[in-house]
Amino acid sequence: MSTAAKDPVPAKTPAPLVSALRELPTNVWSSIFRNPLPSTDLERASTSFTNFFLHLHPVKVHRNTLRPAYTLGLGLISLFLFVILVFTGVLLMFYYVPSTTQAYDRMLDLRSTVAFGIFLRNMHRWAAHAMVGVVFLHMCRVFLTGAYKKPREFNWVIGVGLLLVTLFLSFTGYLLPWDQLAFWAITVGTSIAAYAPLMGKQIQFVLLGDTTVGQEALLRFYVLHVAVLPAVLTLLVAVHFWRIRKDGGLSRPEDGEAARGMLQAGVVKMRIEPSVPLTAGQPAAQSARQDPAAASRESDVAAVALKRRIYGLQGFVRGPFTKVGNVPDDSVYSWPNLLMAELFVLVLTISVILVVSLAFNAPLEQPVNVMHPPNPAKAPWYFLGLQEMVSYSAFWGGVAVPSVMVGLLLVVPYIDRGTAGVGRWFARERLLANTLFVSLVILNVIFIAIGTFFRGPNWAFVSPF
Amino acid sequence: MRLALVIASFVVLIVHGVVFYDQFFHKWERHQTAYFEQARSMSNDARERAELEARAPRIEQAIVTSFGDTHVDRCTTCHMAADDPRFTGHGEPLKTHPYSAQLGDVVRNGHWERRHKFSDFGCTVCHDGQGRGLDTHYSHGEDEFWPEPLLGYVTQATWRKDFGPKLKGVAYMEANCAQCHTAEDFAGTPNVNHGRKLFYAMNCYGCHKIDGMSEGTLGPDLTEAGKKYKIDYLWESIVEPRANLDTSFMPKFDLNDADVRALVIFLKSRRGVNFAETSLDRYKAHVANVAVVIPPGTAGETAGEQLIGDRACTACHKLKDKDGGVAPDLTYEGLIRDETWLMDHFQNPRAREPDSIMPSFRFPTDDFQKISAYLVSLKVPPPAMQPAETFKNLCARCHGENGDGNGKVAWYLDPSPRNFTKAAFMTSKPRQRFITSIQEGVPGTSMPVWGKTLKPEQIDGVLSYVLNSFTKEPLKELKPRNLPERNPVAPDAPSVAHGEQIFLERCTGCHGRKADGKGPNSLDIMPHPRNLRNNWFVQAATDRRLFESILYGVRGTAMPSWIDYGLTQHDVGDIINFVRSLNPKPGSQRYATR
Repeated sequence: MSTAAKDPVPAKTPAPLVSALRELPTNVWSSIFRNPLPSTDLERASTSFTNFFLHLHPVKVHRNTLRPAYTLGLGLISLFLFVILVFTGVLLMFYYVPSTTQAYDRMLDLRSTVAFGIFLRNMHRWAAHAMVGVVFLHMCRVFLTGAYKKPREFNWVIGVGLLLVTLFLSFTGYLLPWDQLAFWAITVGTSIAAYAPLMGKQIQFVLLGDTTVGQEALLRFYVLHVAVLPAVLTLLVAVHFWRIRKDGGLSRPEDGEAARGMLQAGVVKMRIEPSVPLTAGQPAAQSARQDPAAASRESDVAAVALKRRIYGLQGFVRGPFTKVGNVPDDSVYSWPNLLMAELFVLVLTISVILVVSLAFNAPLEQPVNVMHPPNPAKAPWYFLGLQEMVSYSAFWGGVAVPSVMVGLLLVVPYIDRGTAGVGRWFARERLLANTLFVSLVILNVIFIAIGTFFRGPNWAFVSPF
Repeated sequence: MRLALVIASFVVLIVHGVVFYDQFFHKWERHQTAYFEQARSMSNDARERAELEARAPRIEQAIVTSFGDTHVDRCTTCHMAADDPRFTGHGEPLKTHPYSAQLGDVVRNGHWERRHKFSDFGCTVCHDGQGRGLDTHYSHGEDEFWPEPLLGYVTQATWRKDFGPKLKGVAYMEANCAQCHTAEDFAGTPNVNHGRKLFYAMNCYGCHKIDGMSEGTLGPDLTEAGKKYKIDYLWESIVEPRANLDTSFMPKFDLNDADVRALVIFLKSRRGVNFAETSLDRYKAHVANVAVVIPPGTAGETAGEQLIGDRACTACHKLKDKDGGVAPDLTYEGLIRDETWLMDHFQNPRAREPDSIMPSFRFPTDDFQKISAYLVSLKVPPPAMQPAETFKNLCARCHGENGDGNGKVAWYLDPSPRNFTKAAFMTSKPRQRFITSIQEGVPGTSMPVWGKTLKPEQIDGVLSYVLNSFTKEPLKELKPRNLPERNPVAPDAPSVAHGEQIFLERCTGCHGRKADGKGPNSLDIMPHPRNLRNNWFVQAATDRRLFESILYGVRGTAMPSWIDYGLTQHDVGDIINFVRSLNPKPGSQRYATR
């Protein structure tokens, strides 16, 4: 029986293979990148959990976190320096051999025949020195903004651990060129370790694998430097970041204060919305730009509102205005703000390291000669303060005082329990803590300066001028 | 922030560009392409031309393992034409390495054949330099940290500028020839041979040890001097011995540049390893009791005189027409010393002069006897002269032409010669004391016994000359002091112990904890504090003199008058007992032979 509606004449469908090939690029792309580049707030929010590499980030961050003058980006710089170090380090590992007879020749080959060898080595060396310095500055920033206080105490402790691992990484790497500079610096450094009471000599033996610096020490330091310590550092960094997330992000001042502070600084132009939900269509409140007084009143309102945040039911909402229950706060989406900030810090770090590596060559002195110690034999610069203190007293200067300093660092969040002054540089409420810390830092810097510039043969006081 | 990001990204891009350029357009590639082009234009063979056309630059290296360490020599990466005879007239780096009979090369069938092929020897075994480097600065060893710069071609930035021109010249390469060609008369190493002769002729062998050649123990061991030091350090150590060690007593010998260069080349050839030897040869040389086989020097009348010439005694001493300018004049030795003294002194100079820097030569006793016999035969006194002449001929060598104790050899004498211009000292002693010193000498010091050389009136004349010309102040009328002639305190154990205790508290700052005059203050004091273990001197000093020196000090020197600091005569008696206990009868004590 024939039906009235007849199927239209089927158009010539292309073979399935051809259409597959034609759509290949799009299919490949969309199988890898399943989410579009965000254009809506929902999409911006979802980047943090639709992408493996980005899921470390929160959906939103507080504006204060992105303020350059707050963190100076020091934590990020440390991280990126570490990334540079790992990258250049792996490339250097292809050419370096940790043998007392081969190491120096390998360094010479790196300098002469390996493509980009000089540059790779320079980058590795200067990034290493920079990382020690930046990590230290990061610690100072965290202290001076009171960011170690509850609930961030343990993150601070992890941070101190990271500092020590960084120093140890730099120290183990210092030996690897196996030239006079390396050999005698490590001889001095491990001799200071031998001053520890009870176990000093054993500690030195474990470090060196022998009573003096030689093949055992070189191999041991190499293994520590390329395998053990980077793994430990990565682990600690992972926990460090996890903790940042769980602590609610970076430290910041109380919300009202932040807003007030930033408004007064003219840093941020805020769009304040009243806490009362809008009926659709009403225009948003006047921009604070035109009425600073009103803005500050409103920011007080915002502060109050935040303290009594109301959580309502979430519902599916069509359209671009996903502002149900949106109360005014100081946070911005990670995408693109945080990512841009990170990208900027990355490019800045890379460019500085590249320029410095182009301009300055990492030193390579004479091959090791155990019969010929330089006079004076100096430890690496970050241990020169320690060496200066040791020159006053082996035990007190080399063991007791540094141990006390590290101990104090570890325990400071548990001693300083006041909650005031968090999230601001040099808060008045923390004058005592900040003063003590800065004094100790300056003292250390002075010792390092003395050890570097003012000490000559036999550790006699000399003028550098 | 976006603007800053753009700028930073741009910087990164530019740096990448610079680095890529730097790393991919090496100088050596340009040298190589220049070589290919020039060789092609000179070539008559179409096949060769095609090959050169097809060649691309690459690193050329020779790995040589037969000479101790592994040498990786990449020199031919730039010096492409080293083995190409067509490039003899070109400039470096594309210049043929010279062929010459001196290098052992021969001409066969009209072509030079290289004796020392690059594939067997590489380059750095002969030239030094850094084989692994690929740019001039590093490969030529111009980097101040590289221990082996190109011998004779390169001076490093840290070297002294005044030595620069003297350290250049292809002659320096002989030092490396001698690593294999060790024969003493090898024609290809004239400077090494000359240096070796100088090593004996200038008496370096007396103080310095070189395995297989000498046994000296006073100076550093030079067996591996060439391996340890660069040529600028070797040069400086010879012409300015105190440049690197203020307290060195190495004499400053009078050598011209050619001689110093020969010595430097000889020392640079001492690398502690000789590739032509087997390890057995080396071991034998090391343990051999070296009977010093010194090449004959000057001919002499007698055996002793011959020996003095052969053994290069005049490298330091003065005798006849030769003068080393370091040690005393031996012209009148027969009048000054006797054979016993000379033999003792030869066996061990410090047995007679405790602070002498003369090496202990290990010649056979027979040789010493011959030399002593000869010296004792020098009995002709100087002709009668005016006191001024006498002073100039006999005294000025030590005491200086101005009488200030800065004679030609004064630096090498310990105790230092007396400074006559120190009026405070000179006027505090009676005239008879000086007469005694001249006539009988001062035992344990280099002050000779002039009593047989000079007649009493000559001595008197010289003394008056000295006092008038140098001291210039008249001798004072000295107060008689109440001092015992002999030490009244008995030299028993408690006295010596007490004396030692006082000594350790008061005296060691200048006289040293070992009482040898080398206390921490001693270097800054002139005259130096007395060596109280100089037993010849201490034995000869009377108790009265010791009392006087300690209680009332020695004017014109740093010796304080201890009576002002609370020491009693009894204390001083104890000290004297202690000091004498340190100085047993001379001859019964053995001194280190050094």
